[in-house]
Amino acid sequence: MGRHMIAGDLNDDGTVPKRRKTSPYIAALIPLYLVMILLVIGPLVYTVMLSFATNVGNGGFSWKLTVENYRRMIDPVYRVTFLKSIQLAFLSTLLISLIGYPFGYWMSRLSKKWKKIMILLVVIPFGVNSLIRYYGIIILLQSKGVLNWLLLKLHLIEEPIKFLYNYSTVLAGMVYGLLPFMILSVYSSAEKIDWTLVEASRDLGATKTEAFFSIIFPLTIPGLFSGVILSFVPSMGLFFVSEILGGNKIVLVGSLIQDQMTRGGNWPFAAAIAVLLTIVTSVLLIASARISQLQGETRKGNNLI
Amino acid sequence: MKKKMSIALGIMLMAVCLFVSCSKKDKQELVLYTWEGMFPQEVLDDFAKETGIKIIYSTFDTNETMLEKLSQADGGTYDLIIGDDYIVDAAIRKGLVQKLDKSRIPSFKNINPLFQSFYFDTKNEYTVPHGAGIPVIVYDPSRVDWEITGIKDLWDERLRDSVALTANYRVIEGITLMSMGRSLNENDLEVLKEVGKKLIELAPNVRLIDDSTSHLALLNGEASVAFLYTSQATAALNENPNLKVVFPAEGLGVGVMDFFIPVKAPHSDAAHKFIEYILKPDVSAQCFNFLGYYCTTKAADSLVDPILVPPSFFNGEIMQNISLEADEQQNKNWVEFKAACN
Amino acid sequence: MKRKSKFPIIYLILITLINYLPILVVVVFSFNSSKLSTVWSSFSLRWYEKLFSNHRLMESFFNSILLGLASTGLSAVIGTLGAVGLAKTNYRTNKLVAYLSTLPLMIPEIILGMTYLAFFSILSIPFGFLTLLLAHTAFCVPYVLMMVSARLVGMDQSLEDAALDLGASRKRAFWDVTMPMLSPAIISGSVLAFAMSFDDVVISLFVNSPYFNTLPTRVYTQLKTGVTPDINALCTLMLLFMIIVMVFYFIISERRKKR
Repeated sequence: MGRHMIAGDLNDDGTVPKRRKTSPYIAALIPLYLVMILLVIGPLVYTVMLSFATNVGNGGFSWKLTVENYRRMIDPVYRVTFLKSIQLAFLSTLLISLIGYPFGYWMSRLSKKWKKIMILLVVIPFGVNSLIRYYGIIILLQSKGVLNWLLLKLHLIEEPIKFLYNYSTVLAGMVYGLLPFMILSVYSSAEKIDWTLVEASRDLGATKTEAFFSIIFPLTIPGLFSGVILSFVPSMGLFFVSEILGGNKIVLVGSLIQDQMTRGGNWPFAAAIAVLLTIVTSVLLIASARISQLQGETRKGNNLI
Repeated sequence: MKKKMSIALGIMLMAVCLFVSCSKKDKQELVLYTWEGMFPQEVLDDFAKETGIKIIYSTFDTNETMLEKLSQADGGTYDLIIGDDYIVDAAIRKGLVQKLDKSRIPSFKNINPLFQSFYFDTKNEYTVPHGAGIPVIVYDPSRVDWEITGIKDLWDERLRDSVALTANYRVIEGITLMSMGRSLNENDLEVLKEVGKKLIELAPNVRLIDDSTSHLALLNGEASVAFLYTSQATAALNENPNLKVVFPAEGLGVGVMDFFIPVKAPHSDAAHKFIEYILKPDVSAQCFNFLGYYCTTKAADSLVDPILVPPSFFNGEIMQNISLEADEQQNKNWVEFKAACN
Repeated sequence: MKRKSKFPIIYLILITLINYLPILVVVVFSFNSSKLSTVWSSFSLRWYEKLFSNHRLMESFFNSILLGLASTGLSAVIGTLGAVGLAKTNYRTNKLVAYLSTLPLMIPEIILGMTYLAFFSILSIPFGFLTLLLAHTAFCVPYVLMMVSARLVGMDQSLEDAALDLGASRKRAFWDVTMPMLSPAIISGSVLAFAMSFDDVVISLFVNSPYFNTLPTRVYTQLKTGVTPDINALCTLMLLFMIIVMVFYFIISERRKKR
């Protein structure tokens, strides 16, 4: 394992930074490397192998290698599903960022006591299993539900509105389920901001907006980015949101895989879809990591991808 | 401090592992593997009290998970399993099921022969049925002012955006085949392509497709017609007795769940005892009333809720595994159908 | 912070309220006498009775807590150490490892579960607590790793350097300077990790043994009989449990601060 110096790794004054003396940190990395080798690479290799296996039905397969599972995906049905799924994931990630970022950021500006209370408030809903929370949404939105009842009482509508089983409900469900990840990510990176810096820039005549975009925002990009990962990745696969709130009418890649793994009983095909899903997601994430790195400031040390 | 904590954690883990492996070596036990909620707690408790056998109740979500766990365990670990017909077929063909010792199940004669001798166990050597279902059409007469008689009616224009379907593609494509006068288990690809087209025509009428909530949609006004599994239909009727049940004119699809004992079951003796216990008329009745599926124990027919006694015309077609190409076509149809519904 | 706008506060309150609406509904419906989870009929405590009479549920509840704590603890240690290690070393493989760590989030649960089942069988690790712990740790580590990594970026290195210059041992500098700065990220990551572990059904179903079942695997395998409101009751109790634990944690940490 060679160490390679890059220009960017030098301190501002050109000296070799102290932290280059890496030896004590090797030990810190061992458990992580172990987990990766045993619990990630192993299963990954198995999944890739499975995606080339031959289906014999009912979850059975033989190790006769074939590319049939990939060839099948050329069919427009599957291509369209992939594209629509990506589109939904993009939209939901965008909404989650727009709603979650200000939340996480403003949360970090609260007093110490209120910060703690807010974390608790964000976390407590996890005590209710996600599926059950979605059942709760059905009760709120169904045509004889709480929201329609309220709107009818206020004479805002004449007839109950059909909120359920369409695209926007699925989108709202995704946002609802994944928002806490974004909030906590942004919060934990915004919380470290040194406010004396911001005040100094204000003293030097920067406006509030200028100060935000030149100092605060760049520092929170890593948090925003990990929030993006934690919301984009699941929204490609959270098929039960589409099942419960979308009446299964919005087909996600996750639903394709689920169908193939269960009643379809074609595991090699499911594995092939999963491999493709992983590749597509990875490419999109690496691309967005590059973009966020171009924002300057974060060039150093952004180790995630 | 961190060190102390990690040591404490380590000790805790070891203790748990020990505890877990110790409790295995209990006296007599029965490892039952099925869905949660298949038996009323009293039945399980009574069995334990009567025989002194401790029941270890383990659960799975889908048939496929069960089959894979069983094959990875080489047909061991589990003593008694209940699964759906088609997966029992797969398990038998994989050699994971042992023949029943009928001499130890005197109540075997209590079984309703209507639910025996299916394609997967023609000689009734491996399985004991436990509950059967016929998916039916249920509709709300307060919102549908005409009479629905068959599957074809689901295509009627008056039902725009108001049909709820179950999410099993074999079931929905199966009834489409039936409405075309074909077999549920059609293998002809041309016919199946036809099914795909027919389904697209159904799309504008579909409100939702879901296995777990379609009966609720019928009750809370989201849908006015639903195609439901037996347990869902029973639950919906209990809630709203005004709902109408339609046994489709085109024919019926039948599904059955079966007990089987894995080939290397560690306590096959206990498994036989449990089957015998469940087949007693009064215990059977207790089970089916709780479960909401059609009673498969003939001797218990007089004891169960009358709506759970299999109707005299209960002679529908049972779903079998179809060729891989046919299955592939059905899957494609299904994805296209779902996407067209939106 | 001279002219404090009210908007942020209103925003925080509003979003939190919306977030709690579905949960409030779940709590209310746990007192519903109807067997169908979305139709209200009348007030009843029958689902709580049913819940308490089910000793299997109670047993798996404790299993879930135990497993959640163990896998969270393990992944907090691995994730934090890993994040620090990745930030402070410059091995070629670091980026690859950082990427690999996100894979358990990308691969659909059902595939991951099936793979772990096959994988642990090949390694002949006996199924039970150990396999559950390994699988849960694999998908919990990324949460901690990601949160801590994001916090480490741009974190002031000079403080730790100063401590080192003043003669503190590297260990000392780490515990006294770096750790306190990382703690908000470790806490957020661990909380998410615990929630994920506690919520997991699919992977757990593949790698458990009949002798060690977790709570969600008990509750969400009622496919054949339909989901009944005892789950709402269970969720309400869970919520209560979470609130009690959190409030305790809050009071204790407030009190410690005052001393």
